Amino acid sequence: MLIVGGGPAGLAAAYRLATRHRGPGGDPPVVAVLEKSREAGAHMLSGAVLDPSALTDLMPDWRSRGAPVEVPVTEDRIYFLTERRRIPFPVTPPPLRNHGNYVISLNRLVRWLAGQVEAAGVDIFAGFAGAELLYEGDRVVGVRTGDRGIDREGNRKATFEPGVDIRAQVTVLADGVRGNLTKSLVERFRLDGGRLPQVYAVGIKELWDVPAGRLPAGAVIHTLGYPLPHEQFGGGFLYALPDGALSVGFVAGLDYRDPGFDPHSAFQRFKRHPLVAGLLAGGEMVRYGAKALPEGGWHAIPRCHVDGALIVGDAAGFLNSMRLKGIHLAMQSGIAAADAALDALEAWDTSAERLARYAALVESGPIRRELHPVRNVHQAFAGGLLPGLLYSGLSLVTGGWWIRDPMPAHPGHQRMQHVRGERSAAPDAVPVDRRLTFDKLTNVHYSGTRHDEDQPSHLLVQDTDVCRTRCREEYGNPCTRFCPAAVYEMVDARGGGKRLQINASNCVHCKTCDIMDPYQIIDWVPPEGGGGPRYEGM
Amino acid sequence: MKIAVCIKQVVTRDWPLRIDESAGWVRDGDASFEMNEPDAYALEEGLRLKERHGGEVVVCSAGPARVAQVIREALARGADRAIHVVSEDLPTADAGVVAEALAAALRDESFDLVLTGLQSDDQGFGETGVILADRLGLPHATIIMEIAADGDGEGRIRVKRELEGGWFQWLSMPTPALLTIQSGINQLRYATLRGIMAAKRKEVRTVPFASPPPSAWNIVALRVPVKDKQTRFVDGPPEAAAAELVRLLRDEARAL
Amino acid sequence: MPMPSSDRAPVLVIAEQRAGNLNPVTWETVAAAQALGGAVAVAVAGTGIAGAAAELAAADVAEVLVLEDPALESYTPDGHIAALASLVEQERPGLVLFPHTYQTRDYAPALANRLGGVLIPDCVGAEVRDAGLVLLRPMFQGKFVAEVAPAGPGPHCISFQIGAWRADAAARGGAAATRTVPVSVDGSTIRQRPEAPFQEAKQAVDLTQAERIVAVGRGIKGQEHLPLVQELARALGAEVAASRPICDSGWLPMDRQIGSSGQTVSPKLYVALGISGAIQHLVGMKGSRTIVAVNKDADAPIFEVADYGIVGDLFEVVPALVAALGE
Repeated sequence: MLIVGGGPAGLAAAYRLATRHRGPGGDPPVVAVLEKSREAGAHMLSGAVLDPSALTDLMPDWRSRGAPVEVPVTEDRIYFLTERRRIPFPVTPPPLRNHGNYVISLNRLVRWLAGQVEAAGVDIFAGFAGAELLYEGDRVVGVRTGDRGIDREGNRKATFEPGVDIRAQVTVLADGVRGNLTKSLVERFRLDGGRLPQVYAVGIKELWDVPAGRLPAGAVIHTLGYPLPHEQFGGGFLYALPDGALSVGFVAGLDYRDPGFDPHSAFQRFKRHPLVAGLLAGGEMVRYGAKALPEGGWHAIPRCHVDGALIVGDAAGFLNSMRLKGIHLAMQSGIAAADAALDALEAWDTSAERLARYAALVESGPIRRELHPVRNVHQAFAGGLLPGLLYSGLSLVTGGWWIRDPMPAHPGHQRMQHVRGERSAAPDAVPVDRRLTFDKLTNVHYSGTRHDEDQPSHLLVQDTDVCRTRCREEYGNPCTRFCPAAVYEMVDARGGGKRLQINASNCVHCKTCDIMDPYQIIDWVPPEGGGGPRYEGM
Repeated sequence: MKIAVCIKQVVTRDWPLRIDESAGWVRDGDASFEMNEPDAYALEEGLRLKERHGGEVVVCSAGPARVAQVIREALARGADRAIHVVSEDLPTADAGVVAEALAAALRDESFDLVLTGLQSDDQGFGETGVILADRLGLPHATIIMEIAADGDGEGRIRVKRELEGGWFQWLSMPTPALLTIQSGINQLRYATLRGIMAAKRKEVRTVPFASPPPSAWNIVALRVPVKDKQTRFVDGPPEAAAAELVRLLRDEARAL
Repeated sequence: MPMPSSDRAPVLVIAEQRAGNLNPVTWETVAAAQALGGAVAVAVAGTGIAGAAAELAAADVAEVLVLEDPALESYTPDGHIAALASLVEQERPGLVLFPHTYQTRDYAPALANRLGGVLIPDCVGAEVRDAGLVLLRPMFQGKFVAEVAPAGPGPHCISFQIGAWRADAAARGGAAATRTVPVSVDGSTIRQRPEAPFQEAKQAVDLTQAERIVAVGRGIKGQEHLPLVQELARALGAEVAASRPICDSGWLPMDRQIGSSGQTVSPKLYVALGISGAIQHLVGMKGSRTIVAVNKDADAPIFEVADYGIVGDLFEVVPALVAALGE
């Protein structure tokens, strides 16, 4: 058994495989996890408020095993923001009620879970990315890891280590939101046929140290409205941890229309709102990170089983955008995939037909119970904040039914509109004071991101001529704005004009470019294993 | 050749470190750690010597439980076994204490060669190896750029030492000996999947280090360096500004 | 029998010489010793060192101690440790100070160990406070400065970073007494056998050793303008370095890159041309002793760390600087 990706879904699958009863005399399956980050959890970023139900299903005694799940949510607030004011929602809508949930650091949770998984006998190979899937005919038989020790011109360095083929009876793709292997598998078998296109959002987050007494640990605040216009999906969050640690973040739908929109700027603007600025005043930004999240919900989940492989977690899109939660669903999908895979292994049949049991478990289990009623929420928000809110409220009554069910949707990048005239509608740049607000490059420094500089760019742009010609005219090079890590820049070209410069080593692996590029010519592939951000406490 | 390589676990380079409440140390409870880079070169050199001459590479690290991370990495890269000197007090300890912790573990075994990195990225003493050599009674040489394959013909090890200003020097000494290795002496290998698997079965001996000897110094305070003077802007047309800047650099800053 | 410590200089400076030539950084350590107050003695060890001793005697110090022994002809750690341990045991100083050179790093830690202490290395400052002596030393690659108080009976061995004190601040007082201290080093106990030093061009550029660095950033606009920078570097006797975008574009090789993904340097002089001062660059150079920034943008963060700034067009300022240096 091979699991690609050591996040909540992959590790839940690994743990389930390693610990479930294996039948009399049966050898435990050999389970290995590939993880592209240098150490387990280093690429994990979330808000995060955890619904502990899946963790309890996976490991009932997580408390006594010291899970870093310690701060129960104590209060829930939602505000609608105008530029200067905040309007509290009179009641917190039930899906956003967090009683019984916990404010956590996902990367700490995952690092702890990795320790549990290893103790259960699973090999976790950190620093190894899955570069491509191995096939026999149309059957997935494993993964090839990336070569290491290639210089930026593509030549082998003295330290070159070729990628290794890892073969497995069942390969579980837990490669996260817009995972590169899942993307290729979905394309090859058109696994998204008949489903709605996946829509995404990007979450940008800073971890702050603030003076004592600002917010009690366990306080959870969500905001809607400012700085986004009504027609745009997104909002801010503030989650209070003990000892003055405060998670502050902003989620922006990656289906915005204005090519001048810059999610990082929106986040900076959000921090300047009196509500947020007041909470952060006198504090210090200590970490930064960004990650895309799948918001499409039930109707956007592709078929997740093929011959020899399953797709789990964010890679598949198991996220409840109405509750703003996906960790527990990712874990549930990992559990279901492990059960289906074990069943297939025991039957000596890992064909798609047999592995379809995974889909059945998803259908009959907690995932559908949670996702189906909110299946149209994100699509409803495509019409704007008001229709979205109305629908969200209504869906609680109708069980998610709508006149057109599924509600139609378009991939986010198709919604982006051409630059009109000289200027974008986006407001002017946010002043950067390097106390409350930061430029992207400074922020990237606080993500701990590091890549070996002497390697080929892992952001493959099929045709950079498009950047300096068509895209420049039609969209004004939105990659320079939607990337929250200053990877893309248009710089002066020799002999006039502009050219695209890719600062690949800034990349925080959020995948926004792969998702939002209007021409879909950016391919995010994993860089040399071990590269990327180093999140801690995120 | 039986080679010991001393490795230290340090806070990841460029980690946004902050000073802790006591103002005497850093907040490293939430930091990310890695193998001290110069030590990684020492390890690589040890592995290459073993490949050339046969023998065994034993890594030794002194520190709290968390240093198991770098021990595992060293084993994955090819070290044969490891010694972990366990003590919670070592990260803030002076170089004499750290050297004693290492010496306590290495004394029982007779190594032909003990390698350390040149210095650590955290406290940056650059002396633990030399003190360790003296405690073990070994001859030593520092800032080593090359280890000759064949010794000096008299059974002694021959090494190239870096001096300042582009000068170098070969010297030889009897083994057992201790060398501190300059960064960049070789190219680091990657840990392989096979190596990671094999590392799980390798021996890690833990040695308690109960009572650190009294410290030779105390850290009174740790602070962020402050720039002691304001930026002096030199105005005027380019020629005048340039002339004034050169004068300032010559007479005031004495940087020319 | 060692003399009671009160009769002897409380501060002992260990001079560094090679082939009889005094390493001028010794004067920086003399300046440090003088700044700490009290009587200072300077010791020089080797062979053929009368000239070096005479040179040192010009310092305003109590005396110059000469340790001459055939076994000290070429530097070896074993020889130096034996001779100097014997000296310290005879002289009983309270403090033993060294310039933090490669040679000091090679033997002083073992010498301090032999004397029952630990060298406090690489100090950039010293303050005598009510509670006693406090030394300042960089930690975490210069991110922090630690204030360190020596503990225990001493003697306390301390080395000072090159450039931390000014050599020309060492007071000269005329003629200090020169005294030969008998040390006999048994040559057969010296285990290292050194060969003659030689010079060699390094394969890779080691900017960490450069005294002066001229670094160039985006403001240079194109590779074709690099000769301008190289000309200034020549005029200053400096190495050329760059911020990441320049190396990313392949305009300079990657071993010239300063900053979080390149080298961390602290030269005597760092001239930043057209570098805005992203934090990734600043972490690699802000420990430099004197920083000069030339940038069009007066709000560029580089000016926050610069000692001297010129707000202007580097294409005008740099040629003017080259001309001014030529005069």
